[in-house]
Amino acid sequence: MKDSVHADRVQLAYASVLGIASAVGMVLIVVGYLIYVFELLPSAASVSDVAAHWHLRASELHQTVPVPSGWDWTGDVLRGDVLSYASIIYLSAATIVCLAFIVPVLIGERDAIYTIITILQVCVLVFAAAGIVSGGH
Amino acid sequence: MAIVANPGTSRFILSSLLTGALLFIPSLVFAAASVPSADSVQLAWWIWMALLFIFTFLLGIIAVIAGVGGGVLFVPIVSSFFPFHLDFVRGAGLLVALSGALSAGAPLLRKGLANLKLALSMALIGSVSSIAGAMVGLAMPEKTVQLLLGLTIIFISFVMYRSKNSAYPDIRTPDALSSALRINGIYYDEQMKKEINWQIHRTPAGLLLFILIGFMAGMFGLGAGFANVPVFNLVLGAPLRVSVATSVFVLSINDTAAAWVYLHKGAVLPLIAVPSIAGMMLGTKIGAKLLTKIHTNLVRRIVIALLAVAGLRALLKGFGI
Repeated sequence: MKDSVHADRVQLAYASVLGIASAVGMVLIVVGYLIYVFELLPSAASVSDVAAHWHLRASELHQTVPVPSGWDWTGDVLRGDVLSYASIIYLSAATIVCLAFIVPVLIGERDAIYTIITILQVCVLVFAAAGIVSGGH
Repeated sequence: MAIVANPGTSRFILSSLLTGALLFIPSLVFAAASVPSADSVQLAWWIWMALLFIFTFLLGIIAVIAGVGGGVLFVPIVSSFFPFHLDFVRGAGLLVALSGALSAGAPLLRKGLANLKLALSMALIGSVSSIAGAMVGLAMPEKTVQLLLGLTIIFISFVMYRSKNSAYPDIRTPDALSSALRINGIYYDEQMKKEINWQIHRTPAGLLLFILIGFMAGMFGLGAGFANVPVFNLVLGAPLRVSVATSVFVLSINDTAAAWVYLHKGAVLPLIAVPSIAGMMLGTKIGAKLLTKIHTNLVRRIVIALLAVAGLRALLKGFGI
């Protein structure tokens, strides 16, 4: 039986973006990590420096070792640690992209309730990503 | 002369080898951690990474066979046996669960097993509480988090031990809220070789429980499949397959919300998160292939025991013992 028979247009639209986004994400995190640990690009803090402090609380480690957090890395992307971190940022943004993608499909289907729910969901995740509701700086 | 192995015996041997390997890694980690020189830990970062990769790989295999999400095993076990601070283990745990959910999500949606309407209705409220949970969890003293994590994990292992799912709950009358939100569906059940129509009830109770689950997931960095599935299945009355698939989808939204809090608080180190994600993903794929060849009940019992031990360790750490 054809898989998509029981999935509506919105689900199929979400699945198509998600399939691509997750495959790209997996490639990016592996490539970013290899660049980082093999030091193919310079990093603000060496891997062994980070390893020497990974027993500290996150707030304490950041006072001791310059590692990327939140969006503070955007001005300096050509660093090994930043590329690896950016691949994780990509993975964390994938769901937001997928949800935003289905909003026009829901509007096209004239599905007011789920258009509103999805827009609200995107807003919650965007606020979290921007650090507005997640204690970012 | 050909040697014909008894399938039951070979399944038992394979299960025992697998769980033996999983138990071997913590012993190795203990041995490595007991080396007194701090320099040895600094010099051997790549050994930690290799151990983490192998450990999460085995955890991925075991998680699929035992029918639990990798995230719920990752945080208590890795925080017990590896030298990383709990902040980074929780950050990595969320990403492990998130990446697993992202990679499994598309086929489940295409097959109509994961239901977008059911997921979106529950995830909106769950993601807000997940953010709150993450903020509270990262602000709490470490010992308090360890104590609460220990209690939660012991409770989860008890629930896993006692839980009895219902494959096809018979919901005759949907509640008013689920009718208004049009939460129902139809999917093709490959085991029964027929289409299954389903609907849900007790939606307000489900929403309240998803607030609690989201909070716990964010606070402890757990993928909350262990709790999502029983709520979808036993409280709301969705079929088990729909519950498992939709749980994956809810998890991808709730864990995304919490992951951003951890990212902004600096609690995500790619050095720890990436080998964990890679190991777990690879292990999950192998586990899915081994599923029919392994004694699943035995592995499930061992995983429950392992969780209980990890929970107890977290509890003792919380008491400073």
